[in-house]
Amino acid sequence: MNQPDIFVIETDGLSKSFGDVQALKKVNLRVPRHSIFGFLGPNGAGKTTFMKVLLGLTRPTKGGGNIFGHDIVNESVAIRERIGYLPQQPRFIEYMTARENLRFAARFFFSGPADKIEDRCEEMLNLIGLEDKADRPVKGFSGGEKQRLGIALAQVNYPDLLILDEPASALDPLGRQAVLEVMERLRKHTTIFYSTHILDDVQRVSDSVAILNKGELVTCGPIEQILNGKDGLVYTMALKGDPDGLGERLAELPWVAHTTMTHRNETSVWQVSVSDETAAERDLLRYVLADPAVTVAEFNRKKYELEEVFMETVKGDVNVR
Amino acid sequence: MSANFDLQKMNEWEGLRGFSNLLSKENRAWWGTRRWWVNALLWTVLLCGLTAIMLFMPNEEVYEATEAEINQAGGLIGYTLRVGLNVFFQFGVPILAIGTVIQAQDLIIGEKQSGVAEWLLSKPVARRAYVMAKVAANALSVMVLLVGLPSALVYGILSLRIGAPFPLVPFLSAVGIMTAHTLFYLILTLMLGTIFNNRGPILGFALGSVLGGGLLGNFIKPLFFVTPWMLPEVAWLTATGQALSAEMGIASLVATVLWCVIFIFVALTKFEKMEF
Repeated sequence: MNQPDIFVIETDGLSKSFGDVQALKKVNLRVPRHSIFGFLGPNGAGKTTFMKVLLGLTRPTKGGGNIFGHDIVNESVAIRERIGYLPQQPRFIEYMTARENLRFAARFFFSGPADKIEDRCEEMLNLIGLEDKADRPVKGFSGGEKQRLGIALAQVNYPDLLILDEPASALDPLGRQAVLEVMERLRKHTTIFYSTHILDDVQRVSDSVAILNKGELVTCGPIEQILNGKDGLVYTMALKGDPDGLGERLAELPWVAHTTMTHRNETSVWQVSVSDETAAERDLLRYVLADPAVTVAEFNRKKYELEEVFMETVKGDVNVR
Repeated sequence: MSANFDLQKMNEWEGLRGFSNLLSKENRAWWGTRRWWVNALLWTVLLCGLTAIMLFMPNEEVYEATEAEINQAGGLIGYTLRVGLNVFFQFGVPILAIGTVIQAQDLIIGEKQSGVAEWLLSKPVARRAYVMAKVAANALSVMVLLVGLPSALVYGILSLRIGAPFPLVPFLSAVGIMTAHTLFYLILTLMLGTIFNNRGPILGFALGSVLGGGLLGNFIKPLFFVTPWMLPEVAWLTATGQALSAEMGIASLVATVLWCVIFIFVALTKFEKMEF
């Protein structure tokens, strides 16, 4: 615990209850520095509550955590000094223009000089493409424009950590693309911790992922590891011919954990879980090809889609794999 | 993306971090929108207009006054001044309280419900700075626009009516009492905004106090010593130089000021514990 050089966010048994409802149950999460960390979970899983606890907007019932080594309960102002936050539904001072809102947000962090603050506001407006609407009151903005302005407001202090709650939810495909590009561009400057339901985006830009379900952290780790599935390495093969006794022979190999076989038309489809990637890459296909009774129609290392992992994790459907 | 080194970091005491920026936002809500001139116009027309009518167009009430009453007031002009000041203070003070409650009821719960408060508190802002900025900016605006401006004009009208400067000390003392009464309801409403999540109870408690406090005090006299309910009459008696009864003495004014301090303390404590 407490390694701010490696992990930006560290929580330890973080729990939050609202009356009898336990919104967060002993969440232990570590978010590596300069990562784009996707925080997933179905509606009501506790993602927003977790983010609010990190920001000091609500207090943990048990456990705790730190950000940049600062305690999330007692040193919240020092933490928020280095954070940018985009709420699920961005809010602004409605009677102010986009530029005035940016100036107002910047003034929480900087006292001057005024011209430099103006430059920063202009830079943020350019970043989100709202230069032409900079001087209009935000109450006339569309949902997408408000979302983009929210992202600019979250970045106005060049935060070391960006916490984004559903940053692309109100955007059209082009807007979503722009947000993902901004996130990728910011990777080298900052750590991004974001929640979303758009799993394709997570798979595209995130390096780490956590899945929260009913307040519990059910999966967490680098995305490559998550996409490998929890059964480890699995190879799939489609074989034609008579594979009689192949399952038993494969099971005798020391690096094969287990095999399953299903039939699809004239083909048998095999899933082989292995414990040694090198041995499997070198010998598995060779071993099967050596059997003259079968022809190999397909041979692949199984890669899961994030959606598969998510659905399985959230539904607890262990039969998928 | 350039670095932050060309900008000066905000250097404020952490306990009130964000206060100056929030204060300017609250001031902007009054002085940067039409709100300031709408209030200036409304209260000036209402309070000064009614007072001027009483002072310059004496109605039947004046002529139906008994000779003893007119003599007690030092003559017809004195009696007219009493009626005018009665309208300004006895009618004006509760009306200003109602106006203040209606304008302040949304200041905190409006931002709580819309998510603006959550957004503001995600910035490096101390929660007490949020509450204190609301109190300071709104107190200033209320004092200038609702109390100060109409009072200054009424003082001018009074002086015009008697053809000489109206005695300043009793008038300013009465305006001070009016200010305390108005601030009491401003701070009470802000405090209620930290306790409740909808407008009903806020309006119920605050307006109930303005409109029903006097009635309750008539049943339980000691309440007049510890509440602002007699302050409208105290202000009128002070402005006209009349004697104050025991329950109208300094006690209710001191109690009102103390309540303001207590309300601010409660608001700060409640807001500190609030969850978003």
